[in-house]
Amino acid sequence: MNKKLINWLICILILCGILLGVGAFSLSVGSAGIPFKKIIPLILGGRGTTEYSILFDIRLPRIILGLAVGSALSIAGVLLQGMFRNPLVEPYTLGISGGAALGVCLNIVLRLNRIGGILSIPASGFLGAVVVILAVYSLSARKGILKIQGLLLTGVMISFISSSLIMLIMAVSRTEDLHGIVFWIMGSLEEPNLALIKVVVLISVLGLFISYLFCAELNALALGEEEALHLGINTEKTKRLLFILASLLTGCAVSVAGVIGFVGLVVPHFIRMFVGGDHRILLITSALAGGAFLILCDTLARTIIAPLELPVGVITGIIGGAIFVYFLSKKQVTLGGKR
Amino acid sequence: MKNFDSIKGILTLKICFFAVLALLYGVLCLEPLYVNSAIHAENNSPQRIISLVPVLTEELYLLGVENRLIANTSYCKRPPAAEKKEKIGSGMKISVEKILYLEPDLILAKWYSNQKQIEKLRNLGMEVKIFPDVKNFSGICEELIELSKTIGSEDKSKQIVRRAKNKVSSIQRKIKDLSKPKVLVQIGAKPLWVATKDSFINDFIKLAGGINIGPSGKSGLYSREKVLEQNPDVIIIVTMGIVGEQEKETWQKYKTLNAAKNNRIHIVDSYKVCSPTPVSFVEVLEEIVEILH
Repeated sequence: MNKKLINWLICILILCGILLGVGAFSLSVGSAGIPFKKIIPLILGGRGTTEYSILFDIRLPRIILGLAVGSALSIAGVLLQGMFRNPLVEPYTLGISGGAALGVCLNIVLRLNRIGGILSIPASGFLGAVVVILAVYSLSARKGILKIQGLLLTGVMISFISSSLIMLIMAVSRTEDLHGIVFWIMGSLEEPNLALIKVVVLISVLGLFISYLFCAELNALALGEEEALHLGINTEKTKRLLFILASLLTGCAVSVAGVIGFVGLVVPHFIRMFVGGDHRILLITSALAGGAFLILCDTLARTIIAPLELPVGVITGIIGGAIFVYFLSKKQVTLGGKR
Repeated sequence: MKNFDSIKGILTLKICFFAVLALLYGVLCLEPLYVNSAIHAENNSPQRIISLVPVLTEELYLLGVENRLIANTSYCKRPPAAEKKEKIGSGMKISVEKILYLEPDLILAKWYSNQKQIEKLRNLGMEVKIFPDVKNFSGICEELIELSKTIGSEDKSKQIVRRAKNKVSSIQRKIKDLSKPKVLVQIGAKPLWVATKDSFINDFIKLAGGINIGPSGKSGLYSREKVLEQNPDVIIIVTMGIVGEQEKETWQKYKTLNAAKNNRIHIVDSYKVCSPTPVSFVEVLEEIVEILH
């Protein structure tokens, strides 16, 4: 095995270790105040007790959803930043999550959730994301060619339009609907429906699998579109596919967990500082790190001022942002790899 | 050779990576996570109650069953003793795990409580009673009776409601021949938000012998221009602290406004007005009658 591969394996093992550590930490702390030394006996033989239920019915589903949502957003971030060669691109700047949020707001205001049940909320979030993807895509594709700059600008504009429309809806909505909208927009990893959590896990695993098949294309696109074309890559087809893949991953994550910003933007950059810009390793490590980061942020959100719970986006923004700026000032990074 | 190495490398990486993912997914799907382990009360009267709503907390004290209330939210500040109870979160976010840990046999919530969290609590086998939106004074009374039925102390609530209704009727008799001033009740500033004709605050104004000039729709969003045009005789500001004082000063600047000319802009306690029990409803009603006449 060559040296690069060994380094990569070490990176993956370290991140798996961090992920397991964060998962174990998240499983063992919370507002219920179960003593640390009781955790292992509880896991082994505490079936049927309240404490066991707290660990496995409340904390574990949150950890799993955190892993899935964090990974999905990070993979989407890697894909978009890779193909756009722009460090500010993430699912949120492209209006995808704005579309999902708008879908959910419309659902609440039009009271569709009273007819379609609580599952109609993530469904309409996903639908909102899909509508935005189609709009952004069709507005920036000319004669079958996807214009990257146009796509970015259209996305940012659609994002603004969505947030303005959400504000409009909030201004004219009934007080009772306002509560629902605010709860959803704050974002949370608390999801009562286990089937939905499984769907998000499955989609983020599939997303990683499919995007991994495009490693070489992503690496070529990082050199520039023309260069990629000369390397024999069908750039139009690849861009289209990757854009749709990133959008679906985001739409799925956002529709279940609400608006949790920042993960898709910061995790790929952060990981790129350490492993470089090669997508073969960047995709896997970003997915692992995104999951670990979101689980950690959620754990902090629910423990800092327990039993009061903070919206998880507050922690991802403040702590994630601060750590990122610190490392950025220490280390320079480019999209092509380490400088 | 180097090429072969790198292909082999990628293959190994891919295999490792998918093995980890398959393992993770497998673990997730192995067993159903939800085991209904919460403990239900054997008899019909719950002994361990958690209230997620300030007004329901207050009503439990009115009914004299505060010893059965084991926890509430950080928003539950009335009566002062309620503040000392164990907290399970704020009104916006509650800690599901803390609730489960406390093993309640009844959780009291309202229509505006976080739906996802309520569903989670129910999935965990806990009993959650959700109280609907209250539109008027009789709705407030019904809510108290419903609560007392749920916790099994009906007589006390009927007594409280009877007394409150009698007081309201006697107030009505006293004011029936007085003139009816035009009233605006302001609930929020920036944007200006006023009490609509649909809200129970409308009942305060109606029963106190005033006319609510607020909009009849569901949304209380309103314009200052419209307020000036309608020219209310009295403005009641339901906001606490500095915002209320600022709003009062703002209204006083409009010299054509009857309420400003006659110095009839008042600030009332938002906590009492916005989440009244039958008892505090009567108290606020007396205060408003005082303001209007």
